[in-house]
Amino acid sequence: MTVLDYQRPRSLSEAMELLLHDDAVALAGGTDLMVAIRHRAVDPAVVVDLKSVEDIRDDIAVEEDRLVIGGRVVMSRLVSHDVVNEQFPALASAAAVVGSVQIRNRATLAGNLCNASPAADTAPALLAQSAWLTLASGDSGRTVPLSDFFLGPGATILDRGEVVTSVEVPITKGPVGSAFARVTRRRGVDLASVSLACVVEPSGRARFGFGAVGPTPLLAESTVEDLATDDDFERLLSVTSPISDVRAGADYRGAMLRVHVRRALEAAVRQLRARS
Amino acid sequence: MTERGVGTSAPRVGGFERVTGAQMFTADIAQDDLLHVALVHLDCGRAAIESIDVSAAEEVDGVVRVFTGADFPNPMPRFGPRFMDRPVIATTETKFHGDPVAAVVAVSRESATEGAAEVTVTYAELPGVYSIDQALAPASPLVVDADIRPSDDPLTATNIRQIWEWGWGDVDSTKADLVLEDTYEFPMVTHFSIEPHVFVAAPEAGGVAVWSSIQHPYILQKTLADLLGLPIAKVRIHAPDPGGGFGGKGYPKYEPLVAMVALELGRPVRLVLTLEETFQAVRRTNARLHFRTGFSDEGRLLFIDAVNDFLMGAYADIAPRVISKSSYFAAGPYKVGAVRAKVRGLMSHTTPSTAFRGFGAPQIAWAIESQIDAAARALGIDAVDIRLHNLAARGEEIVPGDKPADGDWAQSVRIAAEKLGWSQPLPPGHGRGIAVGLKASATAGSSYCILRILPDGSVALVAGTSDMGQGARTILTQLVSENLGVPAEQVTLVMGDTAVVPFDYSTSASRSTVFMGSAVVDACRKAIDDLVSRAAGAHGVETGEVAFTPGQVAVAGDTYTIPEIVAKIFGAVPGEIIAVGTQRGEGDAGHALGGPAAFYEFSCTASEVAVDIETGDYELVKHVTVADVGKAINRQHVEMQDEGAAVMGLGHTLMEQLLLDEHGRIRNLGALDYRIPTFKDVPKSMTSVLVENGDGPGPGGSKGSGEGGLLATSPAIAAAVTQATGAVITDLPLSPERVWQAIQVSKHYEERHDSEDG
Amino acid sequence: MTGVSTVRLTVNGTRRSVTVPSSMTLLEMVRSRLGLTGSKECCSEGECGACTMIVDGEPVNSCLILGGEVDGAVITTIEGIGNGGMTRLQESFLTAGAVQCGFCIPGMVVAASALLERIPDPTIADIQEGLSGNLCRCGGYSRICAAVISSVSRGDTDD
Repeated sequence: MTVLDYQRPRSLSEAMELLLHDDAVALAGGTDLMVAIRHRAVDPAVVVDLKSVEDIRDDIAVEEDRLVIGGRVVMSRLVSHDVVNEQFPALASAAAVVGSVQIRNRATLAGNLCNASPAADTAPALLAQSAWLTLASGDSGRTVPLSDFFLGPGATILDRGEVVTSVEVPITKGPVGSAFARVTRRRGVDLASVSLACVVEPSGRARFGFGAVGPTPLLAESTVEDLATDDDFERLLSVTSPISDVRAGADYRGAMLRVHVRRALEAAVRQLRARS
Repeated sequence: MTERGVGTSAPRVGGFERVTGAQMFTADIAQDDLLHVALVHLDCGRAAIESIDVSAAEEVDGVVRVFTGADFPNPMPRFGPRFMDRPVIATTETKFHGDPVAAVVAVSRESATEGAAEVTVTYAELPGVYSIDQALAPASPLVVDADIRPSDDPLTATNIRQIWEWGWGDVDSTKADLVLEDTYEFPMVTHFSIEPHVFVAAPEAGGVAVWSSIQHPYILQKTLADLLGLPIAKVRIHAPDPGGGFGGKGYPKYEPLVAMVALELGRPVRLVLTLEETFQAVRRTNARLHFRTGFSDEGRLLFIDAVNDFLMGAYADIAPRVISKSSYFAAGPYKVGAVRAKVRGLMSHTTPSTAFRGFGAPQIAWAIESQIDAAARALGIDAVDIRLHNLAARGEEIVPGDKPADGDWAQSVRIAAEKLGWSQPLPPGHGRGIAVGLKASATAGSSYCILRILPDGSVALVAGTSDMGQGARTILTQLVSENLGVPAEQVTLVMGDTAVVPFDYSTSASRSTVFMGSAVVDACRKAIDDLVSRAAGAHGVETGEVAFTPGQVAVAGDTYTIPEIVAKIFGAVPGEIIAVGTQRGEGDAGHALGGPAAFYEFSCTASEVAVDIETGDYELVKHVTVADVGKAINRQHVEMQDEGAAVMGLGHTLMEQLLLDEHGRIRNLGALDYRIPTFKDVPKSMTSVLVENGDGPGPGGSKGSGEGGLLATSPAIAAAVTQATGAVITDLPLSPERVWQAIQVSKHYEERHDSEDG
Repeated sequence: MTGVSTVRLTVNGTRRSVTVPSSMTLLEMVRSRLGLTGSKECCSEGECGACTMIVDGEPVNSCLILGGEVDGAVITTIEGIGNGGMTRLQESFLTAGAVQCGFCIPGMVVAASALLERIPDPTIADIQEGLSGNLCRCGGYSRICAAVISSVSRGDTDD
């Protein structure tokens, strides 16, 4: 095993420079990375701690027509944030089930997305809310819709040396209804066997994010009107491909998707009505 | 002023240390000059070890030496509580996922772990036996090395290590109105004590000193003495209070390895298992129980015909005892005229199973209680009534010729039903279930203690029970306090050091209140006799003229406190009153189990659930456990143990199962994917009731307790789920997925039958 | 120097400085280098909470934190709760019968103390959520909840 070196850069350029090396990994909350190191799934020579990089924001702010969640923001901040709870309750609910209080005090939203687990709890809500990421690399940057970010289990479009500096979600004018649902093996802290989020707008547009039922978190879109029959829901769910693993069987996952997608749509529609 | 006497909830001895972090668990104890051990094991179940290259490991900074099987005596020494089958370390073959092939010793944990990663093992996976079916298959590879199986063993060519046949009456000629038959599976689960096992050894004074999180220090002491060729007197076991044991820390595991390494290196050596390694080291014996039962139309249980297969693992450990003892009581607490139980203990290339709270009784209860519920449903009889109809009453035999029922078991059932609200209207989507469990306590064994009244009247009690959370320190202190009349603050309990503390057989089988408790009472009595006799002597009177009441001695018209009389007795030359307390259960060599049980631990669980039919998810609305304890020496301790057992029972009922792949590897190795109950998994309402009829053999009429709450959890919840859904489930755990699948199957069955009828 | 972290931090009110391999976790550092063995190791991956410490005011799993990450931080371990005596919360754990084997208890007490800082008057649901990252195999959950509740209702200030 490689001797581990720990670096704590203060600037983004320094961090990205360090991360250009093959054997360097980014450390934010550490709740995924430390487990991976312990299991020898990764064997880095350098751990680059991003928590002191001032140019990565660590605040949650409303700017014009969007919510900006800084790259260093931890889950517990999301959970307790008024605007997030009010405008993005599905995201708040999702953040609230990531691990325990101890985990949420360290795990960052950006880190959860970069880890790219197909079951990442926050991804379905962010997908349904049309989130995008702001990335920095070298002396350039780009923005990427979250729906383009994931490539496969544990894989994203991030280039070597590229860092997520913020996650942004558009704030729609007018009311929106949303819902979040999750199937786990126990009521206590658990990874999701199936997770999904639903966002419904007054226009009737309905966006769904799905987790743990494909190689990446998935997005599907329809309208409330078009989701009436069983066939309609099957079409919506055709993007998913649940597998059997140590957590759940494929049959069960598929069945739970079908139960929960209907319940989530109903709940989102109800919430929209209540807010209109 | 808090109450401290017997029957109260006296404060926990050792509580302050535990809430402040001062309690020294085995891994907390500093050792000078300590070396650290990391184990090397393969990513495979059964494998042939071809070669082990330790050269890269030995180059790692900090690594002192790497031990493999080749560094140990040939033939490899073996140990085990029933069969001497377990090698100190693997030599030519790994027999289970996690079977260590090398031990890396280094100056730090980090370098030991690094070194372990650098050991290269060349191995070839071998076909392995990983399930009951595979163990029974005629051509399956044999788990047990031929050279350690007795030559006259008719089962040598099989993976059946032992067969037991229990029973009475004539099953085949017993006519029944209703005959039911089904097969029940009880999963592989692991203890998951929050403290992983710790093993420390150091050479000492011509022998060896060991620190271990062990529950039974004296069994360990004897095992090491035998293995190392040392007199018992030269083997010293330090046994700090374990951080949970539940049976998984009962019998030696890696102490022999660590001791031999320490003696070879001449330095203290410590191995702390990772949580994953504890899953690989210990588990409950899983089982497939095939029960065929016959009932009369009125619901009387007429016969039981059982074929039970238990998968013991790669080494027998204490599993043969788990199996024989539990299946001996295949009829549970019921009066049954004819019983036939054929039981097989099977070997497999899996973690050796060992004792685990309940000791086979939960597995039996899962089967027999499920059958009773099936009969109740088929006959249209209430589940409470059918049990009351069949339970043995106090004094009635359950196994002919053996110890009869020693409690009012029906009373516990009635209380459980009442507390659950059994006859209340059932809300839609809800279901209720009730079940009972029986566990026989220790059949033989001995406990010794030494009680010392010190020159100032304070007391040291030296007793070898292990306090792993059940509160032994507290109740033994209470017994001294109550019997001698010495305040609890003036009593010190010395435990956990075989050099100082006399023999105690074990802390298991819920035996300690009865056995060690009785020894302590015996010591108190002897100490009082000695005190009285010396007080008489000091006053020149006959002993009959001395009156002792707790805390006070009256002689020759004067009354003395204990400190005063001790000072008076010894005068200028200090002394102590020293008494040895003994409690021996000699057992009965002619008895199939070595003797009748000292008492039976009987428990009733009643459960109400609310099921989401679409998803199989269910909520535990209400959970009641009733424990027949005789007398609670410490009320709060007994209640917390009973509640704790209930929560542990929820584990194997709702969510716990070790999953193996086709290579015999544990797939859900670790806390991430092996889920145990958390705060959010406890029932909405949980009640524990203690029944105290003073009908036990221990002090104050106490029995033992602490296992009851998990004996009947599964059948009670399963029956509740069945009532709510119509689906019968015979496998555990009752995960939402399994419940959902059962609902689909029963829906499908109903639909088919509807369409057939239509 | 690569591979080594010099960590200066405040632990239970005392400034400490220690040089450790960079791969050493906060948990291991506190236990083996700072002599504070109250915090426990069980799962080593943030699932059991036995290693819970308060870092810069927040309860966290110390097994998931590298020593270098807490350079400059303020840490409270179980030894720092009660500072030799017992807080009202710790007393409540004892009187409520919440302590069995005790191995999970340091993490529980630290997590519960942090919870009460955040929510001074928690409901059962708040407690279950706040302590959901702490496992107790002895099954003491209901009594631990009762202990937290009673520590609040027994009085206002903790002196």
